[in-house]
Amino acid sequence: MSGAQPSSLTGLVVRRLLQLPFIVLAVYTLTFILAWSVPGNPLENPEGRRPPPEIVEAMQKQYKLDDPVAFYFDYLGKASGVSWLVGAHDTPFDLGPSLKQPDWSVNEILSTGLPVSMTLGLSAILIALAIGIAAGTIGGLRPGSPVDALTQVLAIAGISLPSFVIGSALLMLLAVKLGLFPVGGWGGISYVVLPAFTLSLPFAAYISRLVRFGMIEEMGADHIRTARAKGLPRWKVALKHALKNAFLPVLSYLGPATAVALTGSFVVEKVFAVPGVGQHFVDGVLGKDITLVMGVVLVYATLMVVFNLAVDVLYRFVDPRIA
Amino acid sequence: MRIAAPVILLVLALLAAIALDRPLPPADLVVVERSDCYTLDPQRMSYQHELRRARVIYETLVNLRASDCEVVPGVAERWERSPDGLTWTFHLRADAKWSNGDPVTSADFLYAWRRAILPDTAADYSGLFLDIRGARAFFEFRTRQLKEYDAGGAGTPERAQAAWDDAMRAFDEMVAIDAPDARTLVVALERPLPYFLDYCAFPPFAPVHERTVDAFTSLDAASARLVQRHGWTKPGHLVTNGAYVPTTWRYKRDMRLEANPHYWNRAAVVAKSIDFRTIENPNTGVLSFESGAADWLTDVGPEYKTEMLGERRAYLERYRSEFEAAMSSGLLHDEAVAALPPPVAGERRNIRGFDAFGTDFFSFNCRPALPGGKTNPFHDAAVRRAFALSVDKAELIKRVTRLNERVTGTLVPVGSIAGYPEVEGLGFDPERARAELKSAGWEDRDGDGIVENARGERFPTVDILYSTASPRYQNLALAMRDMWKRELRVAAECRGKDSKLYKEDLKKGNFMIARGGWYGDYGDPTTWLDLQRTGNGNNDRGYSNPEYDRMIEAATSIVDPAERLRALAECERWLFTVEVPLLPLCNYVTVYGYDPARTQGMSEHPRLEQDLSLLGTPAQRAAAKSAEDAAAKPSEVVP
Repeated sequence: MSGAQPSSLTGLVVRRLLQLPFIVLAVYTLTFILAWSVPGNPLENPEGRRPPPEIVEAMQKQYKLDDPVAFYFDYLGKASGVSWLVGAHDTPFDLGPSLKQPDWSVNEILSTGLPVSMTLGLSAILIALAIGIAAGTIGGLRPGSPVDALTQVLAIAGISLPSFVIGSALLMLLAVKLGLFPVGGWGGISYVVLPAFTLSLPFAAYISRLVRFGMIEEMGADHIRTARAKGLPRWKVALKHALKNAFLPVLSYLGPATAVALTGSFVVEKVFAVPGVGQHFVDGVLGKDITLVMGVVLVYATLMVVFNLAVDVLYRFVDPRIA
Repeated sequence: MRIAAPVILLVLALLAAIALDRPLPPADLVVVERSDCYTLDPQRMSYQHELRRARVIYETLVNLRASDCEVVPGVAERWERSPDGLTWTFHLRADAKWSNGDPVTSADFLYAWRRAILPDTAADYSGLFLDIRGARAFFEFRTRQLKEYDAGGAGTPERAQAAWDDAMRAFDEMVAIDAPDARTLVVALERPLPYFLDYCAFPPFAPVHERTVDAFTSLDAASARLVQRHGWTKPGHLVTNGAYVPTTWRYKRDMRLEANPHYWNRAAVVAKSIDFRTIENPNTGVLSFESGAADWLTDVGPEYKTEMLGERRAYLERYRSEFEAAMSSGLLHDEAVAALPPPVAGERRNIRGFDAFGTDFFSFNCRPALPGGKTNPFHDAAVRRAFALSVDKAELIKRVTRLNERVTGTLVPVGSIAGYPEVEGLGFDPERARAELKSAGWEDRDGDGIVENARGERFPTVDILYSTASPRYQNLALAMRDMWKRELRVAAECRGKDSKLYKEDLKKGNFMIARGGWYGDYGDPTTWLDLQRTGNGNNDRGYSNPEYDRMIEAATSIVDPAERLRALAECERWLFTVEVPLLPLCNYVTVYGYDPARTQGMSEHPRLEQDLSLLGTPAQRAAAKSAEDAAAKPSEVVP
């Protein structure tokens, strides 16, 4: 069946890419309804001066905030590039101006924030993989041992402690008291370590549990016993044979985990003052900055589909049984 | 394992991404702020931290000297006022330059002020420009014109252009701003404004570089509106005429200002570069400051203020005699603190609270009826007086807000406006409060512990609205509720709402008593007293009294400045002893984090208009001082 595999892979990619616009449209519509129903007016300042009512009214007209249906189609056309294709708009993929920050377009906000969030999220996933696999393997090789108990307790802590608690504690200890890392901000590897580590913990904990369980199961399997019987050292068997299979559930977890790490990092971004999309998005929701919210959601929905696709493709390489 | 290859690639890509995103080189001054600027367009900004940055990015006709808020020359080297106080003529200095070397001309001001008046620009402060003769008529003309355009069917570029040309002709005819030559600007006002220079020093009155802004502005054919693309305020495009030019601005991350080489007074600029970092989380802001990363933390998180200020008090207590000796030898407060030995554990000197140009208050709903037609007991001034008299503000400061704020019974902070007398409002007097309530017809007739009116109806449960944005408002609301229950025998309930919903309720008048607060914009009592005028856009109380409107109108038309201020003080006294549309509690305290041994040049003036170009280490300040002296001398000789 080796000849059929590439064509099925192409088929998968084509199928997913055909689904993409429908998934994104559904997400767009749902978000639009939710974002529109948030009370308040994005053109009014939460504190301070009020512009004359004529001005608020005129701005509302300009941004089509007085007409949800017109806004829905206008924004969709501009953001998807359709308006550009038919010649009704001068730029493709225009996610509009931010309603709250008139000096910034949503495209600019995303282009400065997205690399930051991606760096943070992917660093966190890599750290989580390193910690999770190491802890899971050690625990899984000696289930019930004190080391296993310790890693299990740490895993529970990693899952259940909120990241703002861990983040603040790390900041206090490693940055303020010991001065090893800068407090908050972005730019260079020293700024990445603490937020990425904090963000990685829940993922690391989950991965370690997946790996541990897989290892326990694998180490009892026939082919492992055969390998051991051939006289291979225990560590070699564990790493070369058992871990490979124990890792498979981790791989399928990585797709959604990466998506969550990229989108769900707003708490960590707030605590460490990381200028990523997560905190811009939350500020956008709170301020009813509809264009910003819609733009972020559109981009993230697209990314999410692409990531899941990437993981599925990767899966086929690692485990050719799935076809 | 085949998965190793993508992982290694990913690691390499990440390391490259991190390595490419370097931090900026160190700046002379690092400022940590709670929020980034929403805009660098001076005509559209309205937040304090934006205005503070704008003051050093743009230079207005005149400047307010930070130390005492006196008006000093800016782009204008001198100016005259006509005897009737209505016409102002400004003479611009020859060496005022934009950061690209272009001269700053009167046409730049005319262009910027026209932007501010045009409804198209959506300037929050456009109201301040409407005191210029003809500006209101022009604003209404353009608003009407745009409405008619909208109603007149599909727009075309030609129609939009024709409308715009009409509007420009109307502006030239109607609005009394003239630029007879490149270095003269003549402005006529609707009525005499003794504080007009204060307006002129306010960033919305700053000039903008016409060519740059025009390149990002176009007419929208569909609405005939002038539409502006945001790009012109970005480093690389932005041309400024102030002490600094922004060279980097990354959204909600950082902004770098570098000294403007074309600024006429560049020698006096202390810090040659300033970094602003945005740290929204108040805890992280304080931790960043504690780690030494910031020279100035402009907003210390509420959870830390009280404790940190307590540590400062402990420090000053220990060196009280040395501090007093240093002060009496003529040192400024911060210099005197810097001269003391460094603090030990449990003490600190890198924090300071200042009384701000702002007043914390609770609003009474003064409308005749509440939404839904329910009668509103607070429409009666006697009831408002009773509620005001039964609040023990000193107790609130001691137990609730705990920042040692100055208690007040009026709006205008004492000493903030030169020549304005201190006005006394109502104090704490529960006896009189009960008498006032009784005089309004409310007393406990059946002995159930709640007051009733003559018809036996109970006083409606007092609905106290606050925003959940800060625990301060909740704590204040709860404490005052208990005071009113105890002193006045009324039922009261607090209603906390998210700031957006709170704002909606305020606008609809859906409250009896609501959290309020105000910061003054300019150095005249009207920045406070106009709030109570009928129909004022910020009059959340719905207070309307023709008598007050008449008093303010009469007071503001007095030409003699001293007499005018006395008359305004009388308005304020009447407002806060008789009418009491709102219940002032205290002046806000602004808490800055900075070490006076490292950062000097902070203004102590009650308006707290900090001039960023004056802040720096003692060594930086001394260097700027000598450079300024050196620059001042040869300019007499060399043409």
